[in-house]
Amino acid sequence: MIPELESFNLPVLSLITLTPAIGAILLSLVDRNNKALLRQAALMISFLTLLFSLLMIGNFDNAVGTMQLEEQHTWIESLGISYHLGVDGISVLLVLLTSFSMPLVFLSTWSAIDDRVKEFQIALLLLQTGMIGAFVALDLILFYFFYEAMLIPMYLIIGIWGGRERIYAALKFFIYTMVGSLLMFLAILYLYQHTGTFDLPLMLERIRSTHPLGPDQQFWLFSAFTLSFAIKVPLFPLHTWLPDAHVQAPTAGSVVLAGVLLKMGTYGLLRFSIPLFSDAAFDLQGVMCWLAIIGIIFGACMALVQNDIKKLIAYSSVSHLGFVVLACFIPSVEAITGGILQMVNHGLSTGMLFLMIGIIYERRHTRELADYGGLAKVIPMYTIFFLIAVLSSIGLPGLNGFVGEFLILFAVFRDFPLWGVLASTGVVLGALYLLNMVKRFLFGPIVHEENRTVADLSVREIIYLLPFVVMMFWLGLYPAPFINMVKPTLVLYVEMLKS
Amino acid sequence: MELIISRAEILAILPAGILFITGLVQLFSDLGKSGDDTRSEKTHLAMIGGAGLLLALAALFVQGTAASTGSLYAGAMTDDLFGRMGAGVVMMTALFCTLMSGGYLASSANNRAEFYALICFCAGAMALLCQATNLISVFVAIETLSLAVYVLAGYFKENRSASEGAFKYFVLGAFSSGFLLLGMAFIYGTTGGSISFSDIAASNGQGDSLFSIGTLLILIGFSFKIGAVPFHSWVPDVYQASPTLAVGWMAVAVKASSFFALCRFLLFTGGGQELAQILAAIAVVSMLLGNLAALNQRSLKRMMAYSGIAHTGYLLIPLVIVVSGEGASAGASIPFYLFAYAATTLAAFGVITAISVGTDRDDVSDLDGLARSRPFLAIGLTIALISLAGIPLTAGFIAKLMILQGAVSSGFLTLALIAIITTLISVYYYLRPVVAMWFREPRSSFDLVPAPWGVIFTVAVCAIATVSIGIFPGWLVNLSRLSVETILG
Repeated sequence: MIPELESFNLPVLSLITLTPAIGAILLSLVDRNNKALLRQAALMISFLTLLFSLLMIGNFDNAVGTMQLEEQHTWIESLGISYHLGVDGISVLLVLLTSFSMPLVFLSTWSAIDDRVKEFQIALLLLQTGMIGAFVALDLILFYFFYEAMLIPMYLIIGIWGGRERIYAALKFFIYTMVGSLLMFLAILYLYQHTGTFDLPLMLERIRSTHPLGPDQQFWLFSAFTLSFAIKVPLFPLHTWLPDAHVQAPTAGSVVLAGVLLKMGTYGLLRFSIPLFSDAAFDLQGVMCWLAIIGIIFGACMALVQNDIKKLIAYSSVSHLGFVVLACFIPSVEAITGGILQMVNHGLSTGMLFLMIGIIYERRHTRELADYGGLAKVIPMYTIFFLIAVLSSIGLPGLNGFVGEFLILFAVFRDFPLWGVLASTGVVLGALYLLNMVKRFLFGPIVHEENRTVADLSVREIIYLLPFVVMMFWLGLYPAPFINMVKPTLVLYVEMLKS
Repeated sequence: MELIISRAEILAILPAGILFITGLVQLFSDLGKSGDDTRSEKTHLAMIGGAGLLLALAALFVQGTAASTGSLYAGAMTDDLFGRMGAGVVMMTALFCTLMSGGYLASSANNRAEFYALICFCAGAMALLCQATNLISVFVAIETLSLAVYVLAGYFKENRSASEGAFKYFVLGAFSSGFLLLGMAFIYGTTGGSISFSDIAASNGQGDSLFSIGTLLILIGFSFKIGAVPFHSWVPDVYQASPTLAVGWMAVAVKASSFFALCRFLLFTGGGQELAQILAAIAVVSMLLGNLAALNQRSLKRMMAYSGIAHTGYLLIPLVIVVSGEGASAGASIPFYLFAYAATTLAAFGVITAISVGTDRDDVSDLDGLARSRPFLAIGLTIALISLAGIPLTAGFIAKLMILQGAVSSGFLTLALIAIITTLISVYYYLRPVVAMWFREPRSSFDLVPAPWGVIFTVAVCAIATVSIGIFPGWLVNLSRLSVETILG
């Protein structure tokens, strides 16, 4: 008889969260000159994490809308801090996205990073623990631990392996993030004082029953939390750190930043800001949605005029995440489902775009659009993959981007037609700047002689790009399994918001 | 009066006594040695010091969390958990400084027994200060430890700026002792001749305005020792001029023991709203000035000096709460903070010592590329700086969490907010050495000599302690709470 997986009672979430960190500790014992071993070991560790994530999906019950696979242990009893993990429909896909992208990112760094390989792998692994931990933590201080723990590795990744202006970009990234998170920290302490617990489910319950917050309290606490998350997203006008960070970061850094780290902001809005302070969230719905819409259009316009490919994609992130923020503040199951799918979609398409820009950068050492042109004939394989990623980002039906955007716009149009119209212009502009980029990048005549000899994708590169393409088609053609995972949670979530 | 000394009284002074004897043994062991072997490492001095300190720590540890003995020596001191924690911080610091001394002093051709002995004497006096429960014993302990620190600050007597710094420290220190004594006299006068803390607390002189002035003067005296604004001006100059090791010793042990004594005094006497406001003002300007001035420092020692002033500001927040009577339990964050601060600061000064060995340089740019040339030291200093900036997974974060939690729950939101904003400022300058170590390339013109083993050991232990207290702080939090509860009764 084969015992069921559940009967093992594995602490799945702890395994997913802590495997990379333990791996990082083990890696620190490896000789720094043995680069091959370091690279392979880090890849294996991230694969192991992915396996644990699949185990999580296997044990995840789609019919349940509350927290699942919970683990709770006392940790720092005297300060009221517990080790409490859990997933629900809001976080499960994001955990999966993170553990899905990381092995591919590791594979991509084999050729891109040759200096201080050991430190790089360790930093990426620690970053992974921080990201997954923040998605599954249900204790506010534990969340804050992971949330801040992402900061140092990312700072080092930008600062050590980044481009020419890396020190400036790293510092800007760090300071911006710290501004938000420190104020959030104060708000967390205030909430503890008010409700007597750091435990999120318990706190939610107490705020909704025995310890209600006054309007002023709600306003300030909401502002403190939302500022922190809005910087992470980044929401207009707090986005200025993002283009710098993206342009200076090494490819792997950009991929993680766009693919996962930015989602921390929108996830935080959904998990903390909105349910904890729902009155303030409703009062400020207009402000937040307008900022999101300005971000959508502003990001798209900025992307239109960029000559640096990486900067263009960075601004497209500002635009795309505007849709997600908009979705978060529309209290309907469709909108938020779309928002969560859009987070995953953006992670896939932008992650892949950054990887592909990294590939061409390794060959030509430039990211200026003017230095390219006509590559389609030279590197056809690259062109096909790149086009798929671009079309997914534009939201072509049949690819993943469409599903999320459609659900969001559908819900927004129904309740707020004006916002719907304005947001839709972002889709049009998106097609414009992305196709324009493709035209200048890959098509047209070959102006520069160097471009005639560029090598096409290697086997290793195809291996790490292919999973992205598979997921794009899967999400685009048959998103039902993913929507089913999300939906029960969101039904309860929206009910709670409206009560 | 009973003249026979009780067992509890012997036990109470045992750790300090061991240290005084250790210092004497060190001095005698170096007698008759010729003057020109000051370049050798003299491991025996560190061995004697280490053994004595371990013995003293063991004597503390045996007492453990045993209940307070009540007043000993006719109310001059007590033996309770709070005092033991203070003595513990000081002695561990002394242990690490002793271990680092050999290599550091030998490289500057100044290795003499006095340095080791002075640290032991100083640590003994500090242990007594943490246990002191009347004004006289506080004063005697402070004077004893100060004299030792004056000499340590000017230990490199051939160096003119060091002598200047030591002299400055001495003059200002003497001045502050005057304030302290005057304040004690006021309190003595207004409370009908009481000198022990409990008598002062029980007397009815509290309402007298002269009593408040007395408390204020005592506060000023202590402010010099802990380096609080506006009595901080000596700190950067003395830090920069003094031997790096002596600076590490001052930054940790002098501050910790003074805070333990001040906290005990204020827990007994309270002080009322006016004093709380003055204290809050001192805290705010210390946080602001310390962090802002640190932004522009090129010298690591000066940066640490201003950062120390800022941390004094953070540490004053729980005292404000204690004095205002909003919640004496907020005092529990002080022992914890000082433990965390000691581990963190020692790790930082360990690395600064390693860099300044033989070169006496401490510029931020001297750290360029340290992550390549000395990855181990770079990791140690990075952990220390992250902890000082109060970023999670380090002891510094939990320490800040406790202080801010205390402030928020007693309604001092403004203080908490200022602490948060200044912390943000501090991130900027704490990152500068990180940038130099990790993001820049080593400079070929400046070769580091291998770090002495004592330094490596100290950095390793303190960095590991910083992280492990950051992840599992429960035991230390409980200990700190318990220690303050024993005082409150």
